[in-house]
This record gives sequence, structure tokens and C-alpha cells, in this order.
Amino acid sequence: MLKKRLILVLTFNDGVLFRTKKFIADYRYTKNFIDLWSADEIILLDISKKNRLSKKFLEIVRFFSLNCFLPISVGGGIRSFKDAVNLFQQGADKIVLNYSTYRNPDLIRKISEVFGSQSIIHSIDCRKIKKNKYEVIINNKLKTNLDPIQWAKIAIQNGCGELLINSIDNDGSLLGYDLELNNLIVKNVNIPCLALGGAGNWNHILQLFKNTNISAACTQNIYHFTNESLKSAKEYLKKNKVLVRE
Amino acid sequence: MPLINNKPVDIVDVGTGNIANICSAFKKVNISYNLCSKVSDFKGGKIILPGVGAFADFMDKLKKRNIDNYIIDKSKDNISILGICLGFQVLFSCSTEHKFTKGLNLLKGDFDLIQSNLLIPHVGWNDCEIKKKNDLFKGINNNSDFYFTHSYILKKYEVKDIIAFTKYGTKFPSAVKKNNIYGVQFHPEKSQDKGLLILKNFYEIC
Repeated sequence: MLKKRLILVLTFNDGVLFRTKKFIADYRYTKNFIDLWSADEIILLDISKKNRLSKKFLEIVRFFSLNCFLPISVGGGIRSFKDAVNLFQQGADKIVLNYSTYRNPDLIRKISEVFGSQSIIHSIDCRKIKKNKYEVIINNKLKTNLDPIQWAKIAIQNGCGELLINSIDNDGSLLGYDLELNNLIVKNVNIPCLALGGAGNWNHILQLFKNTNISAACTQNIYHFTNESLKSAKEYLKKNKVLVRE
Repeated sequence: MPLINNKPVDIVDVGTGNIANICSAFKKVNISYNLCSKVSDFKGGKIILPGVGAFADFMDKLKKRNIDNYIIDKSKDNISILGICLGFQVLFSCSTEHKFTKGLNLLKGDFDLIQSNLLIPHVGWNDCEIKKKNDLFKGINNNSDFYFTHSYILKKYEVKDIIAFTKYGTKFPSAVKKNNIYGVQFHPEKSQDKGLLILKNFYEIC
């Protein structure tokens, strides 16, 4: 049977793993991730203010490709087919598309025709307007008047293989995933969906899997970034009858 | 490590996708490899046929370079071949992906879309029920998890060729072996220690 996935989302600023202010950013810390045997997947995102997908960031992608034998998805600032090719060559298994496809959905099609739809995750940043009503937000500021379901369907038609549902409201809140948002989207599409934003404890992940048909729980929470905590998360899920990889 | 075959593995590289990761995996298990994008690149070692993308496009790329015929010839010379994901699919007779397309036809079987009430693609870690004792899975426990990502599954096949099944809606063949021809639907290079062991087994004993 297919397992529910736990995915680590690592964000990089100018090639340095970006963490909360209390921690000192440290490239050596990145290297600890080679021991992450319990993670099911890793997503690397470049969140640099300028000069995204720089040489430094590409070196990080390469580092993970050489050391972590699990699926690696890479995103942040992919604007063209060439950007995507470059990332695949560095070892990305999948790329994460977001803002650039808003004006250019054809980019999804171009990439999927060559690399297959399984190689594309489309990220959708959503903000709540009212009950059961959300809006797609571009670049954390631009309101689109687009309903996430409507936008998800455009992305799927163009050939994306998975959706990354990002709740802007719950991001960093540690209050749990937005179950309403995730349910709304997952019930209206037929591709695997990954949820991001809000995981504060193992119970949040359990609630996500119990109450939605989400395929993977993503966490950016620094306290979840050790092999021991991943193991304990999986033990907790297993005890509560969620099928996870040992 | 016993030196079984001092030739590097020949990895077919027709410019689609995750070759970098296949190379990383072979580096990790200390097996030398040789990238082959045309027939003259091959050194006569065991052949790895990795693939991502679409069936028809991939077959096209193999044919344009005459690599399809090279692989068919070598299969008759008893050179071991391991197909991975799409590389596994093209070992068979045909697929209906986008349009009906013939494969290398080294094994009998047809690929068709996963049943439509399931999420497609089938992405993530799923277990392999090992049906027959075989060298490829040597040292790997039954029902171990491997990483899958695909939309098409083998629907018609010869049961005797199948060495592992996986369940997604229905049970489908996830690994095959017929004489010197091996194939896995999952990605060993993305399946951590057990996946690396599959690659090592292939090089050393298959």
C-alpha cells in the first residue's frame, strides 16, 4: 500500500539554510541532512531576495543529489524552461513551480512534455477570504482574484503532477494545517496533493492525514529537522494507524 | 568487494532527466559507470536503462541514436540489462501513453493508465511483495518500501517473468526478471539503502 509521506522543506537564502532568528545560519548544518534516512522526500527552495538559483544554490542541489538518495524537489525563482533543465541536470527529480506560471501557464506544459508530469510540483499560495473561500496570492502580495481550485485545474491541465498547497494564514503559526483549505482542493483534483503551513506537532500531521486525503505532510519547522524527531513523528503516526514508511 | 566484472556499467543517457542521480547512486556504492548517448560510447558492460518522461518520446530518442538495436543485440549476447521506471516500461511490447507505441519487446507485456478512480501519478513509497527468490532483491526483506512515480502500469504480462508485485488499487508488477533482462518500476537510486543495494546486486551478481 502507498504510504503517507513526510516531506522536509528547506529554504535557502543566498545559498545558506535559512532558519529563525534565534539560530545562526550555518552551511555545515545543511550537511547534517545526509543522515536523514527517515525523511521521505526533501524540497529545497531558494528564497533569496535577488539572484535566485545562483551558483551557490545550485551547489547545494548538487550536494543533496550526491548525498541523499531520496526524491529531491527544487524550486524558487524558476522562470524558464532553461532554469528547469539546469536544475534537473544538477540532480533535481522534480521542480516546484509557482509565480512564473501565473502569466505563463504554458511553461508547465513545456516542461512536462520533455520531463513528464511526474517531474512537476505546482505550488499554490492561498489566503483565506471567508469560510470555504480562498484566494491565490502571487509573491506574497499580488491578489489574483483566482480561486485555488480554478488555478489548480489550470495547472493540472497544463501537466503538473502534484500540488503543493501552501496556507499563507497558517504559515509559521505552528497551529496546525488548514484542514478546510486542504480538503477544498484535494476533493476537487485527481493528482496527489502535499500540504504546507502550520505543522507545530505530530498531532497536526495526524489530523491532516485523518481528516483529508492529502498525500504528504510538509514541514518547515526547524524542530522537525532531525532524524530522531522524524522517527518519533512516524512512530506516533503508526501508533495512530497512519500508514508510513518505516 | 569481489570484482565480478571489471567493465563499468553502461548507463544510457538520451538527455531526459535524472541521470545525475543515477550517477550519484553508483558513485555511492563505488561502481564505475560510463554514460552512453550514442552507440560508440558503449564499452560492453552491463546496461542500465533509466528513463523519465513519456514512452513515445523516449523510444524515439533511443531509435534516433540506434541505441534500441544495440540493447536488443546485447540482450542476445547475455549482457545483463536493468530498466528503471520508464526504462523498465520500454523493455516490454507496447504502451498506450499518448498514443500506441511499440517498445523494445524484450519482454511480453502492455502498459496502460492506472485505474481512473485513483490519484495519478502513483507517487511515493510503496512496498514490493517479492514473488520469487532472485539475485536483484538479495538481502532485501519482503515488503520493503521503494519510491515510485509513474502513471502507467503493466496490465498484460507473463506471470513467470514477474519477481515482485506492488499494490495501488490493484496489484501490478513492480519488478521483472527474464534470463539476463531485469526491470524495476520504482527508482532504486531514490530509495535509499535498499535501492542502492539493488544497484549493487545488479552489478555484482545479476
